[in-house]
Amino acid sequence: MSYFSNISNAVSTLIDGMKVTMGYFVRPRENVTLQYPDEVWPIPERNIGVGELDSYNTIRSKLHVNMDDCIGCKACERACPVDCIHIDTYRAAPDQDLGVTSNGTKIKLLTANFIIDMSECMFCDLCTPPCPEDCIEMTPDYQFIGNDNLNTDVTPEERWRDRDHLIYQFSKVPEEERQRLKAEAEEAAKAKALAMAAKKAAAEKAAEKTAPPSGEAAKEVASETSTEATTEPESIVRMEDIQFATPDQEKITSDAAEEKPAAPEESSDTAAKDTPMADEQTEKPDPEAETGTESSRDKDSNNG
Amino acid sequence: MIQTLANWILSFDILSGMGYPIAWGLSLFIVAALIFVFVALNALVLVYIERKVSAFMQVRLGPMRVGKFGLLQTVADALKLLQKEDIIPEKADKALFTIGPWTILVASVATFAAIPFSDTLLAADMNIGLFYVVSISSIVVLGIVMAGWASNNKWSLYGAMRSAAQIISYEIPVGITLISVVAVVGSLNLQTIIQAQGGAGNLFHWIPIPVPNWFIFHSPFLFMATFVYLIGGTAEINRTPFDIPESESELVAGFMTEFSGLRWALFFLSEYANATLVAFILTIIFLGGWQSPFVNYSSAQIALSIFSVIAVIWTVFVRMKSGRLSIYPLGLSILAAISAWLFPGFAVWLASPGIFWILAKVAGIIFLLMWFRWTFPRLRVDQLMYISWKVVLPLAILNLMGVAIWMWLTGEIQF
Repeated sequence: MSYFSNISNAVSTLIDGMKVTMGYFVRPRENVTLQYPDEVWPIPERNIGVGELDSYNTIRSKLHVNMDDCIGCKACERACPVDCIHIDTYRAAPDQDLGVTSNGTKIKLLTANFIIDMSECMFCDLCTPPCPEDCIEMTPDYQFIGNDNLNTDVTPEERWRDRDHLIYQFSKVPEEERQRLKAEAEEAAKAKALAMAAKKAAAEKAAEKTAPPSGEAAKEVASETSTEATTEPESIVRMEDIQFATPDQEKITSDAAEEKPAAPEESSDTAAKDTPMADEQTEKPDPEAETGTESSRDKDSNNG
Repeated sequence: MIQTLANWILSFDILSGMGYPIAWGLSLFIVAALIFVFVALNALVLVYIERKVSAFMQVRLGPMRVGKFGLLQTVADALKLLQKEDIIPEKADKALFTIGPWTILVASVATFAAIPFSDTLLAADMNIGLFYVVSISSIVVLGIVMAGWASNNKWSLYGAMRSAAQIISYEIPVGITLISVVAVVGSLNLQTIIQAQGGAGNLFHWIPIPVPNWFIFHSPFLFMATFVYLIGGTAEINRTPFDIPESESELVAGFMTEFSGLRWALFFLSEYANATLVAFILTIIFLGGWQSPFVNYSSAQIALSIFSVIAVIWTVFVRMKSGRLSIYPLGLSILAAISAWLFPGFAVWLASPGIFWILAKVAGIIFLLMWFRWTFPRLRVDQLMYISWKVVLPLAILNLMGVAIWMWLTGEIQF
C-alpha cells in the first residue's frame, strides 16, 4: 500500500509547492530589487558627533576641498595617517594677490598641487578637524564610478589596476603654471644646494689651512670610519640571522630536546622532575615555530 | 493550405504565367518560412515570458534594462549570440558537432507542419498526423545523442545518454496515452480528432455538469491520461522536473556544454519549439484544439458571468484573508462578462472556433510548464526511471483498457 500512499503524497506535496509559487506570482508585494542607477538607498540621517563635534555627522565618503578657502597650511596632509593627501605650495610673488578666505584670513601661499588619492583614503575623517579654515570635508557622495578622471590611455584589460580615476586634483592652478612653478622651485633648490656646497667647501678649506693633518693619521681616521660603517649594520645582520636561520635553529633546539630527556634520567630518579622539564621542552620550540609561520606568511604575501 | 496559397498566387494576373508547379513550390517555401518564423518568434517571446514568470515567482523583477520592462532583452540576447565566435573543440567530431544542433532544430520545426492552427490553417493535412508528429519529434533525441557524442566531453556524453534513456522511457507511456485517444476517435488525423471534440455534453457522460465535449472530460480515464501525457511530455522536452540531461548543478550544461554562439541558440530555439509542440499536442488531443469552450453565444455570456462572480467572491475572500491580491484579473473578467452581454458579436466570436482558442490554450499549458519548472526540484535518475516504468506506464495501460470498457458501458461502441 505504500506504493499508492507514496504517489498520493507526491501529488499533494507538488500541489502544495505550486500553491506557494502561484501565491508569490499573483500577489503584488513590496519589491525587493533595487534598480541601482535609477534608485539608490537613502543615506541615513544620523548624528554621530556630540557637542563640539557636531560637524561629525555626515556619512564619511568622498573628500571635497573648497580651494577658495584653502591657505595651503598642509595641516590635513600631516594629519592623514595613510598619506593620501599630497600638497605642493609655493610662495606667492610679491605683487600677486591671492585673495582672502571666507574667514577673513589672507592667503599667502599658492597651492599648486592638492591631490587626494581616494584609492588610499581610509575614510577616517582625521583630516577635517585640523583644517583652520574648514575647507576640507567628507561629503556623503559614495559613488566613485564615472568618466570624470578616467584615464583613456589605459586599455580595458589594464583598467582593473588603474587607479588614476580615483586620484583627485583640487588645485585650480593650470598644468603649465604648475610645471613652471615646479621647475623654478627645482632651479632655486639646485642653486641653493650649489651655494651650500660652495660654502661647505670653503669652510673645509679654511679648516684644512688651520690644522693640516699628516697622511697616515688621515688614513687611520678613514679606516676607523670604515670599520664603524661595517659595525653599524651588525644589528641588522643579527636580525637577518634570526629571521632566515630558523630551520637550523629548529634543528638545534630539536637536537637539544632529544638530548635533554636523557640527562634527567641519569641525574635524578624522581619522576616529578620529568614533567616540568617536558613542559619546558614542549614550550621552547613555540617562538621558533611562530617565526617560521611569520616567514611563511611573508613568502605568501610576496607570492600574492 | 499549400494548394490554397498556390491557387491564390495564380489568381493574380501578373503571376498566373508561372504555372502551377512553380506556384506550388513557391507557396511551399512561403509556408515553411512562416512556420520557421513562428517558431523563432515564439522562442523569442517565450524566453522573455519565462524569465519574467520565474522572476515574479521568486519576488524579483526579471529583465528590466533593455527596452521598457526589458521587452527587448531577448532581442539583444539573440543578436549577441549571432555575433559570438564559432567555436568547435579541437578533439570534437566536427561533422557530427555541426550537424547535431541542426538535426534537433529541423526535427522540432518540421513537426509544426502537421499542427492545425484552425480548421483551415494548417500546412499539411495528413491522415497519419499524430503518428507523424510523434515519430518526427523523436528525432530530437538523435540530435541530442549526436551533439553529446561529438563534443568529446564527459558531461556532454552523460547528458546525451541520460536524454536517450529518458526519452525512450517516456515515449512508451506517451504513445499508449495517445493510442487511448485514437481508440476513441478511430483516426490519426489531427483535424478529425479536433472535430470529434465539438459540442457540449455531461461531465464523464453521466455527471450532470455541462462541459464541452473535450476528451479530458470524456471519461475519468482520459482525465487521468491528460496528466499522464503532461508528465510524459514534460519529460520528453527535458523541462525542469525531468531536466537531468542538462542538469546545471551536475553536468555543467549536459549535451550543450561545448556549444556556444549560434549552435547554442539553435538548441535554445528547439527547446522552446518542443515545449510549444507538447502544449499543442496536449491541446489538440485533450483540450479540443481550436474548438471554443462555449457551445453558443448565450452559453458564453452565462459562463463569463458565472466566472466573474466567482472571481469577485474569490478576490474579496483572499483580500480579507491576506490583504494583498492583484485586482487586474478580476477587472478583466468583469469587463469580459459585461462586454459579452453588451455586444452580442463579441460573445459570438468567443463561441466560434478559431486560432484564438488554440493559442490561448497553448499559452495556458506553457504557463503550466513554466510553473512546474520554477516550483519543482529535479528528479534523480533512478527516481525518473521509477516514475516512468512503475507509475506512469501502468497508469497509461490502465487508461487504455479503462477507456475501452468505458466506451462499451456508455454505448459508444458495440461488440
